[in-house]
Amino acid sequence: METNLDGCFERVEKTLGSMIDSLAKNNPSQKLAEELLAAEAELSKSLKLLETHQNNNARLQQLRQETSLHDTQLKDIMSSLWNMRRELKAVPTTSNPPAGPKHQFTTSELLAYARRISRNTLPLPGVTNGVDMTPSQSSAPPTEPEDSFRLQSQPTQTQTPTTSFNLSFNGTVTTPIGLSAPTPTTTTNDTQPSTQLPPSQQPPPKTAPADDKLPAHLKPAVNPLHDAAFHPWPTEGQIRSGALAALQRLVDAGIEPRGYDPAEQERRRAAEEKARREAEKRARVEREEAERKGREERERMAREREAARLRNGGGPDGDGERRESVAVARPKPKQFTFLGADDDDDDEDEDD
Amino acid sequence: MESGPMSVDSAALDPPPVPDNGPDEPKHGGHSRFELELEFVQALANPQYLNYLASRKFLVNPSFVAYLNYLQYWTRPPYLKYLTFPTATLKMLELLQQEKFRHDIISPDLAHALIMEGMKTAVEWHREG
Repeated sequence: METNLDGCFERVEKTLGSMIDSLAKNNPSQKLAEELLAAEAELSKSLKLLETHQNNNARLQQLRQETSLHDTQLKDIMSSLWNMRRELKAVPTTSNPPAGPKHQFTTSELLAYARRISRNTLPLPGVTNGVDMTPSQSSAPPTEPEDSFRLQSQPTQTQTPTTSFNLSFNGTVTTPIGLSAPTPTTTTNDTQPSTQLPPSQQPPPKTAPADDKLPAHLKPAVNPLHDAAFHPWPTEGQIRSGALAALQRLVDAGIEPRGYDPAEQERRRAAEEKARREAEKRARVEREEAERKGREERERMAREREAARLRNGGGPDGDGERRESVAVARPKPKQFTFLGADDDDDDEDEDD
Repeated sequence: MESGPMSVDSAALDPPPVPDNGPDEPKHGGHSRFELELEFVQALANPQYLNYLASRKFLVNPSFVAYLNYLQYWTRPPYLKYLTFPTATLKMLELLQQEKFRHDIISPDLAHALIMEGMKTAVEWHREG
């Protein structure tokens, strides 16, 4: 590139010198002028080339810089990646899964549980705990006293099973008994035209519109759910009849509940009772046996005494050697013992 | 009807260990600790009973408060499934962990309001619409 450029410069200089010489000699030559032009054009061309070259060079330099910059970035990324990996590997892992143990259950267990709790979580149809189930209508007559556990009637036309059930028990359940007469309900009369007779002059109840209904004061009596309330918790009665109350009674009675088992105690008591009864029975049998033997013995001895008396015809008196044990074994009155002293000796002789 | 086993996560607090002496576990008046605590934790669902306990100064006794905290194992498997009054029991057990509630339940008005609200909710929660 440089030699090419140098050549161009030399040629321009040479032609320029020749041109100047020719001009100085006052003999301009057209050929020299053309050569100068050509040399100048070639120089311009070379300069253009040089410019391109320089531009390319600058571009190369810039690219190199960018490359090195990117190299540095890549190295940084790689090194940070390596650091991250090292840190990740350095994090201590726990062997226990953080979710904790899982408790397995099956559909049947779930359904069994639902069945078990349903009677404590869902009230019977018709039991409303006094809550008005149709809030849009003022179904409760204003004359009724406040009774939170009272069933309320639901005079609505959209009959669900629950509402139809309640409709069958529709009525003023708290009408005082003393005021009630077997007349149709006054609410029915209020809606009648004004030409209706007053209730006291009404025809007999069988012609009244509601004559097939029970008098109002009797309705609670036939409503099995009257005053029924649903409790979503154990009632006081249930608590009082529970095991904790039983423990309290034990404590009140001065018994330490720990280790005390009423059923076990009952069993033990029953066993003792049985053993006692058997022992009594056995004792009674033994006593009867002994009495029977004693009776037989006495009868036998009586027979022998009788026989001896008959044999001896009165017999000699006793020699005083009667043994005490014999007298003791004989539960006879003393006078008989004394009278039969001689017989004893005879008996013993015979026994021997 | 039988499907694959399902599972439920248990919370961090572990239930007490099962007594390992089996049938030789000491009985209290003929009842096991499981039976007594199950009965008691459900009795706590009754606002009147809570009011009674508060009036007897039980709810300000630190030991009793610690026992209430301990009773929370009923809120988790495997014991959860034995509650037959789950709704009120779980709610009351949760409320009883708060000191303010333990203090306030001595008021008969609050107990009465709880009763009314509980019975109202019991018949309303399953209503449609």
